[in-house]
Amino acid sequence: MKPILSYQDRMHKQGRIFTILGLSVMISIPILIMLFTGVTPNIHQMVIGIGVLSLIYLPGGIVEVATYSPILGTTATYLAFITGNLANLKIPCVMNARQIVGTAIGTEENEVVSTISVVASTLTTVAIMTLGIVMLIPLRPILSSELLQPAFNWVVSALFGALGYKYFKGNLKIVAIPLLLMVVLAFLMPGFVIGNITIVIMVGAITSVLVAKLLYDKKLI
Amino acid sequence: MNLNTFMLATVNELKESWWMYLLGIFVTLFIICGALYFGWTAYQQSKKLEMDKETIKKTVISSVSFSILPSIGIFIGVITMAGLLGIPLPWIRLSVVGALHYELMALSVAAEGVTLTTLTTENFVTIAFVMTISIMWGGIFALIFFKKYQQKVINKATKDGGKGFGKILFDAFFIGMISAYIGDAVAKMIHYEVKIIENGAYVFDGNGNALTEDRSTVVPIIVMASAMLAMAFFEWLITKKKIKWLENFALSFSMIFGMTIAVLLGIGGIY
Repeated sequence: MKPILSYQDRMHKQGRIFTILGLSVMISIPILIMLFTGVTPNIHQMVIGIGVLSLIYLPGGIVEVATYSPILGTTATYLAFITGNLANLKIPCVMNARQIVGTAIGTEENEVVSTISVVASTLTTVAIMTLGIVMLIPLRPILSSELLQPAFNWVVSALFGALGYKYFKGNLKIVAIPLLLMVVLAFLMPGFVIGNITIVIMVGAITSVLVAKLLYDKKLI
Repeated sequence: MNLNTFMLATVNELKESWWMYLLGIFVTLFIICGALYFGWTAYQQSKKLEMDKETIKKTVISSVSFSILPSIGIFIGVITMAGLLGIPLPWIRLSVVGALHYELMALSVAAEGVTLTTLTTENFVTIAFVMTISIMWGGIFALIFFKKYQQKVINKATKDGGKGFGKILFDAFFIGMISAYIGDAVAKMIHYEVKIIENGAYVFDGNGNALTEDRSTVVPIIVMASAMLAMAFFEWLITKKKIKWLENFALSFSMIFGMTIAVLLGIGGIY
């Protein structure tokens, strides 16, 4: 396997350009709406709104970059932080692809696989969204029907259940402590766990890595 | 372009106007171009590394099949918000970084207590600004800190490539993440207070507090367990019965099984 540096540097440069363009596209939307309508936002409400949400999403942004970027790799990180849906789609998608093709972390091959995985996932989401918009009239009653609602309410539970089997199966020694911790936390502070899933993921991930390191150092795994 | 044409529009006309759809197409095209460009550079790199074409094919097939169901879930978010904001703005918002619960929260703080009948153009513009700006932090941090973080922390942790602790590190990381979602499912069993959504927005009482209802449920944990069992069955088919083509679809099929259980529970009155 070849060293990763030169390709990584190039990808950082392109990823940063993409991020700047992406953020510009994002912010251009409300600006264009403002220009087209000739109506300015309510500054007071806007400042309060951004302030309140940033209290949650500013630290959340740091935690997400620190937690998810090692899994995604260089290019996929930049792409995923503009296209979104990290925890509920991009991260499990990359982990699944990586496991199926069997690439090793820290290699250029893995970088390629995670990028192609995020690209494929992004284009699938775009295709579904576009199809949904085009076929909105026939699709709307089906997708919002009471019968199908539970299926899509719990799509993330189904996703992590299926992936859970794959990852828990071969790592039973690592699983026990983080799982127990999360279940105890859920019993003690259900509201916190549901409302702060990004932080809970970070706590779970750190615990799990520490347990794995301990077991590895003691040659138990 | 005569801006007066737009200025005269009512909020109901503007949120479904052709130019809002045009903005949606603009964002979609940007995402497609960016993704295709990175896909192409990664493909070129795979050729340089002499990677097996089968690896790339497997990556694409597994990722596409995996992404279909969660993407439908994301689209349902567009439908949920469409009641208040029309289709284009939720479409734009959920095409870039964002999520239904975040957008609803942004909506409620940007225009507290707003409903379909009280929504004004000023509300709409304010909501669009708040939704966009408050979620940009992840992208900004990726832009500023990611390169340094990768060079100083990640590359060191994974320098041994496929050997040593580096091999276990990310599996452990992901196990922690799955455990967190199991914790989330357990928490929803204990106490799950949900803000009521009506016409694409939270409902508030006279004091400006969002109305909630207790929807504690065993469904997510049952769905998780069902998907887990289905995955075990598919893995058995792949490894013992040698049905290799299932490899790329096992996860999607397991998800469909879990989701079907949720529908069946719903039919039985368990939500």
